[in-house]
Amino acid sequence: MITFRHLSRRPSVLHIFKVYYPDLFGGTLSVIRAICAGLKHKFAANVLVCSKSGGQRRLIVNEVPVERVRSFGDVLSLPLAPTYPLRLWRRIAEHDLLALHAPFPLADLVFALGFARKRPLVVHWHADIVSHSSLRWLVQPLMRRTLQRANAIIVSDRALASGTPLLREFADKCHVVPFGIDISKYEWPPRRPPHVNGRGRLVLACGRLVPYKGFDVLVRSAVNQSFEVWIVGEGRERERLERLIRELGVQDRVRLLGSVPDDELAKFMCIADVFVMPSVTDAETFGLVQLEAMAAGRPIINTSLDTAVPHVARDGIEAITVPPRDPTRLAEAINSLIADPERRRRMGDAARHRAATKYSTAAFQEGIEEVYRQAIASRQPARTLRSPTTGLLGAMRIAAALAWSDMRHRYVRSLLGPFWMSIQMAIMVAVLGSVIGHFSAGSTISRLPMLALSLTAWNFLNSVVLDSTTALQDSASLIRDRALSPVIFLLQCCFRQALFALHNLSVPLLLWLVLSPMDLKAVLAALPGFVLFVACTFGLSLVVGAVATRFRDLKPITESTLTLAFLSSPVIWSPAMVNQGSSIMRLNPLTHLFAVWREPLANSHVPMISIAYVLVCLAALALAGWLTVVHLRRAAFWI
Amino acid sequence: MPGIRLRNVCLDYPLYGAYDFSLKRRLLAPLIGETSTARTIRAIDDLSLEATAGARIGLFGPNGSGKSTLLRLIAGVYPATSGQVEVTGSVMPLLGLNAGANLDFVAADNISLLLRIGGRKPTPAIVDEIWAFTELEERMRQLPLRMFSSGMLMRVLFATATAFPADILLLDEWLSVVDENFSAKAEQRLLKLVSMAAIVIIASHDQGLLQRTCTSIIKLDHGHIVSTIPIDQNPARQKDLREKRA
Repeated sequence: MITFRHLSRRPSVLHIFKVYYPDLFGGTLSVIRAICAGLKHKFAANVLVCSKSGGQRRLIVNEVPVERVRSFGDVLSLPLAPTYPLRLWRRIAEHDLLALHAPFPLADLVFALGFARKRPLVVHWHADIVSHSSLRWLVQPLMRRTLQRANAIIVSDRALASGTPLLREFADKCHVVPFGIDISKYEWPPRRPPHVNGRGRLVLACGRLVPYKGFDVLVRSAVNQSFEVWIVGEGRERERLERLIRELGVQDRVRLLGSVPDDELAKFMCIADVFVMPSVTDAETFGLVQLEAMAAGRPIINTSLDTAVPHVARDGIEAITVPPRDPTRLAEAINSLIADPERRRRMGDAARHRAATKYSTAAFQEGIEEVYRQAIASRQPARTLRSPTTGLLGAMRIAAALAWSDMRHRYVRSLLGPFWMSIQMAIMVAVLGSVIGHFSAGSTISRLPMLALSLTAWNFLNSVVLDSTTALQDSASLIRDRALSPVIFLLQCCFRQALFALHNLSVPLLLWLVLSPMDLKAVLAALPGFVLFVACTFGLSLVVGAVATRFRDLKPITESTLTLAFLSSPVIWSPAMVNQGSSIMRLNPLTHLFAVWREPLANSHVPMISIAYVLVCLAALALAGWLTVVHLRRAAFWI
Repeated sequence: MPGIRLRNVCLDYPLYGAYDFSLKRRLLAPLIGETSTARTIRAIDDLSLEATAGARIGLFGPNGSGKSTLLRLIAGVYPATSGQVEVTGSVMPLLGLNAGANLDFVAADNISLLLRIGGRKPTPAIVDEIWAFTELEERMRQLPLRMFSSGMLMRVLFATATAFPADILLLDEWLSVVDENFSAKAEQRLLKLVSMAAIVIIASHDQGLLQRTCTSIIKLDHGHIVSTIPIDQNPARQKDLREKRA
């Protein structure tokens, strides 16, 4: 349903990429800029990128707000910006549409992990990962999940959609929207400055000085020829290219011009005789720069890559297509054009015509707008249709509701509800306290709060694990008839027993308030250890719960094991009462599981060995828990 | 758009005997030379099915023909052994006769809890509306469900489950227990759900019920489709139905 608010306001689009003006210039960036500017009356554009330069976090570039996340340099062509995913996650809710300019694995991380489900996502597929293809296996799953989740994928040419293996899996989502070029920016100059190009042999190339652009091939092709080569652009290959130019002795005819402003580049395009794009890998997907040269009416020489490059300017019509990495063939092609002004003019006219008709800005903007609108519209009903019972959060919500109703039910049946258990525990503490007082020298009274707390904690662990052995069978109807995930009911055990434990906690709390000096600092110090305790308990219940459902005879085994564990672990007695060196004590994980929160409460330090032991246990439980969750789908067969 | 698409789906249902649930037996089996015989039954056998918005499909077949298993497969309870299962949209399964209700709880609590399980917030207004649909007496709201007759229970659960539109509604042997009056009302609500682009799949032995409510009936036997009968909307029958409602 479209609300009035949506009509009155431009939908907000967040463009997600690794870098933006003014830090860098390049094809992808000019596409983003063109989208922002071209659709500014229809969509409010925002850009979130990384920046190495530091400086301002927020700035306005061409009327578009740009937010920059600090990056500490590039590793494998990827900005090292650890806070980017977090920032992206926080920005998602503010926008109506997310436009990811791929490849950008840092953002894929956010989408693959399932954040941002609530917003429609359009992926602009600019290029595949080519330069570090050995690490593909690492990012490919992330990219696949992003594409799975995307509402639409925009590619610049059909060749990309059919030629990229990953995109072929999502062919039904791919929309071909060719880039657009405003040919009015490349109007024929009224007079050609005679001093620059009297000889009619100026070859122009343009692009970042990076290996895949293949400028070294162009430099090599210039050896023993008469044409001049101007290369516009900046980049990390500059030194190597300069050295190559010197070594080949072509410095008089080959010039690296560095970066130049856009209008200056347009001028260069107009005075050049031949435009060359010698790119050598499929990282060059489209070659926006050749489209610019076409708009300026230049004949093109491009390379026969598997991407859109040879489709934009076609061999024999607007271009001569040569094999990549072949300086000889490149030189031949350049010479053939230099030698034939009539052919140059014919090709240039064809190129300008193609740029004006096939690659108009209007068509580009309309195409993008259409995809954006569809993505926003398609997402609206999907938001209400999405089942709220999926995902971990949904599972926890249901488990909490079930646990809460369990506890309420205790109150329905009796006046005191779960407090009966607390009273029972208070009696136990009193009896055990007096008995243990006879065993040891210390004062009984001062030990009571800790005894009560330990009993509460043990009670929690014991009941969670015991409950979990029957939880799935007890909830068979909900699992089989309502298709709820079995994990919910193991979570329910944990939540329910946590609620009961909170009731029981009243006993140690009262004792602590009455008998101990108030020491909130110790309580705070014990909290991390307590979180570990609860996490281990849940992990244990997950594993035991699943296995005990599959193998029914595990329940009595679990019961007797828990009794044994209660007696052999320092729950009612403290480790100080027995021989510290006892190996059973040291190997018993429960000793350490209690130590991590009891020691800070008693104002002493937790031994490193205990922390390490607990963390190893937690890791093992996490692994076992993960395996359990994977196999828990079959639980419906067991109950 | 909600949709169900099953392609060559097979499901082997494992049959666990008393010994198969024993861990001790399992661990001892290699020692006493007993080879484990994992017995399975092919409950769904190479079944393909496609349903799009507005479809009302009836499943018909003898006991053990795989009707309930198929519904559970679509609901995501059982994982398919092989083949492709694609279900888009939210699924509201109402399969067993209790459908997750806790018979010890009073009716109102059950309604709230079931709504929460479905991800909805049970406001008093919604619960009132559901109760009005059941046409049961007001005082019964505070009675535990175990005191209800099966027909009354069904009314409460049906009213709760269909209170919010779901994309896909799966019903197993449902409308057969309630009386005629409520059945007509329930059918009306089902038709309304379907008009909101939902898919309804009903498994039943009652061929009359299926003919009245469905657009096509699938006959199942031993886990595969024997025949698919499309039902044209017979005007005479529609009239008959209308009279019944009036």
